Amino acid sequence: MRYETVIGLEVHVELATKSKIFCSCSAHSYGSEPNEHVCPACCGMPGMLPVVNKRVVDYGMKAGLMLNCDINRTTTFDKKSYYYPDLPAAYQTTQWFAPVAVNGLVEIETSKGKKNIRIKQIHMEEDAGKLVHDIMEDTTHVDFNRTSVPLIEIVSQPDLSSAEEVEAYLDRLKNLLRYAKVAECEMAHGTMRCDVNLSVRPEGSDKLGVRTEMKNMNSIEAIKRAIDYETARHIDAIENGTEVLVQETRRWDDIKGKSYAMRTKETAGDYRYFPDPNVMPVIIDDDWYEGIKATLPEFPEVKRAKYINEYGLSEYDADRIAQSIALCECFEDACAVSKSAKDAANWMISDVMKTLNNKQMTYDMLTLNGKKLGELILLVTGNKVSRANGKKILVAMFDDETVNPEQYAEENDLILSDNTDLVKKVVGEVIASDPKSVADYKSGKEKALMALFGKCMKELKGNCDPQTLRNILTEEVNKA
Amino acid sequence: MKIYTAKIDTASALKVVADDMILTTACPTAAGSKMLDGYMSLFESEALTRLKNAGFELCGKTDVGEFAIDLLGETSYNGACTDGEKILNPTAEAVKANEAAIALTLDVNGSVRRAAAQNDLVSIKPTYGTVSRYGTIPVACSGETVSLLASSAGVLKEALDIIAGHDDKDGTSLSEELCASLKKDAPTSPVKRVAYFANMFEGVSECIAQKANAFCEILKKNGIEVVEVEESVIAASRVAWNILMSAELCNNVSRYDGVKYGYRTQNFTNLDELYTNTRTEAFGELLKTAILFGSETLSTDNYFKVYDKALRTRRIIVEAFAKIFESFDAVLMPACSKTEYTTQDIEANKYLAFEENLYTAPASITGLPAVVTGGVQLVGKAFSEKALLDAAEIYEKESK
Amino acid sequence: MDKDTLRRLEMLNQLSLTEAQKEDVIAFFEKRDSELSVLEAIDTENTERMVHVMPIMTVVREDVVKKQFAREELQKGAPDTDEGYWCVPRVVE
Repeated sequence: MRYETVIGLEVHVELATKSKIFCSCSAHSYGSEPNEHVCPACCGMPGMLPVVNKRVVDYGMKAGLMLNCDINRTTTFDKKSYYYPDLPAAYQTTQWFAPVAVNGLVEIETSKGKKNIRIKQIHMEEDAGKLVHDIMEDTTHVDFNRTSVPLIEIVSQPDLSSAEEVEAYLDRLKNLLRYAKVAECEMAHGTMRCDVNLSVRPEGSDKLGVRTEMKNMNSIEAIKRAIDYETARHIDAIENGTEVLVQETRRWDDIKGKSYAMRTKETAGDYRYFPDPNVMPVIIDDDWYEGIKATLPEFPEVKRAKYINEYGLSEYDADRIAQSIALCECFEDACAVSKSAKDAANWMISDVMKTLNNKQMTYDMLTLNGKKLGELILLVTGNKVSRANGKKILVAMFDDETVNPEQYAEENDLILSDNTDLVKKVVGEVIASDPKSVADYKSGKEKALMALFGKCMKELKGNCDPQTLRNILTEEVNKA
Repeated sequence: MKIYTAKIDTASALKVVADDMILTTACPTAAGSKMLDGYMSLFESEALTRLKNAGFELCGKTDVGEFAIDLLGETSYNGACTDGEKILNPTAEAVKANEAAIALTLDVNGSVRRAAAQNDLVSIKPTYGTVSRYGTIPVACSGETVSLLASSAGVLKEALDIIAGHDDKDGTSLSEELCASLKKDAPTSPVKRVAYFANMFEGVSECIAQKANAFCEILKKNGIEVVEVEESVIAASRVAWNILMSAELCNNVSRYDGVKYGYRTQNFTNLDELYTNTRTEAFGELLKTAILFGSETLSTDNYFKVYDKALRTRRIIVEAFAKIFESFDAVLMPACSKTEYTTQDIEANKYLAFEENLYTAPASITGLPAVVTGGVQLVGKAFSEKALLDAAEIYEKESK
Repeated sequence: MDKDTLRRLEMLNQLSLTEAQKEDVIAFFEKRDSELSVLEAIDTENTERMVHVMPIMTVVREDVVKKQFAREELQKGAPDTDEGYWCVPRVVE
């Protein structure tokens, strides 16, 4: 018999706000001491009251709009109760009754073509803390730095049917949320986490099989392995009766390549949700809603098409630039100033992106001012600065955001002067000092001219338009 | 048995005493619970800060019942404060002894109103959201209100002028604009017609009934009309409030688990035992009962039948009051059924606080302002505190 | 309310009652159950729930970081800490 896998995902994404969702502690604790970013509110002490961080709602809305959701214009917060050491107040404030966004749709593309994945809802909530297990001491250490860091949970409908689709879906979420600049979505950093709900049924059946939920996958590769394992386990159970499938939560062990049923308390799952009396409903009025809508970026495929059709880029170049919103913005600004998409694309790909790679930075981390890049491009195309010196200026612009290309070129003697006389003098001297190369060139060795060219450029300290030098040199060598 | 959980030396003439639900950095705040014995807060109640900024000095903390859900404070881990058999309210005792001009309290389940009524003091529970709850021990957040207790209405007006107002640190704090009518210099529309809630007086003692009659006579003598009104829906406040209060309480006290601060059991070998033994050893009986009851009202099976029903009933009650306020400026009802509670009363019914709150629940569940004076309670329209206190002053003047 | 349900409720709330307390609590539940008829008598069919009693206004804060409390202060009253962490008996995952 043939089987199909039915998968729904719950994806937690940490929102890239500065402060936590209900208190003013820093939301960034990477590399911090334990419990450095904690206050009485986020360590469960009594008496502080939650006040919603507006940017969390902004980002929740943006995420919803990027995933084609309807926005609940009155969105409310609820309390979910359970005891665990990483939850200091023994309740998590989340959205149960009226989440910020519902009924979305995400288009994915796999080797089998395009497919729509429905989004059930996106809700905003606070993250839990971190537990550090000390095996030697039989003690668990509790760190509340991550407690109350804002999250959105994106709940899909069970529309996915393979590891490949899951990968495409997660990539798409990551891409869209990064485009909207609401989240980093880096599984390795824990800023994107994914629980997989999976069941298996005979192909064509409309009855769902027993569903299990898998947790603790830390990379897309691990998710794919977990899905393949779990699918095989389900099919084996159905076909061979190796075990009885039960609805349960399972923990993925990526080292062993197996999933294990998690030990759960008898009372697990009894969360006693109720509306949080301390948080008033958040009412998103027209101004707020339209304001957020206006800040939404174009979708990646819109950008790509625009770069090909309007900017005249190759598909390859368009793909490369459209992969990051930071690259797109820099590129578009550079185009607007330089009026040359081809030059701007060239600089983006062979200089900007290469520099980011060398610095081991992600493309989203680009902060280079695109308008200034455009000015730099104009300096080079206008023969005011050589391409080689242009690269030097770009390095300076990377290191210091305040660098202005033209001013920098002037201050550092990188402007090409109208120095034909000097060039002629240097060319004359080089030709006189290297008769061998001149002779070689004249006997047909083209390479010899390059040696002369290099010597001249060195004498001129690069301060010469290469084409001008080439013209003068060829002329003078032929005369010699 | 304690009146004060802490006393602070102060030479100031303007003194405030706070009950042990109000956080301060000056001394511990235990909320009447062994769980928080010696607990030092790192921040202070906004209302207390405002009073201090206006020249008041904190002279001490008075004991409360465990998380302030009982009758008068008898469930404190320090033991009930009694005068032989009669149960005393520590905060009222401090005010009667002139230890402070005013007392700052958290009205969770009406204990301060009962104390005012039984001790011939005056209390005001302001409109929900007009006084910041920042820095108070959270119990039943949807209805509890920072309240004031004093021996006369005049000083309450002064203190209310100081503590009322918007606070960014409280997400339910109303705008400065809405709070403005509580301020000293705001115009007041006086109480002219009072609805006497006849059915609410049905079960009260003779003495309370007499106090109500005396109160009405004084109002009438001063040109205020008093009309008997039968209203049945509002009496349902108690049942609905017990549900909401217990559920919110259950959630709010779940944070006390022996991990971050406060009491921790000596008797554990694993996390589950740490949690359970800590809470079992540190919490008192009434609180445990309320926790379990509150938890059950929120269970999947009961949520819509019980909790959501109570939330809908709350709206019905708010609407019933609004209807009455179309023709009346205030409602007169008891604050308690009798002029004292004894230790025998509690022995006979451990859960009396969940029944006596018949009289205090209406203002708690609706967030309406309530003034207790002359042993009875006036519940007014939202933001009508000053008019209610004016009426209390009329009574004060005439009854002397 | 029976003892099994109560036992589950105790576990859920990390409490353990004595037998005498259980009797009291069951009596309390029975009384509250009987009172539910008071609410059932009220028609709330077309009434929306009311969580917040006062006019609703969206209170939000700007996304600004403020550091106000030192870890040492926060952990002063802690039963057990180690190198800046709060400590609990080992949790098995």
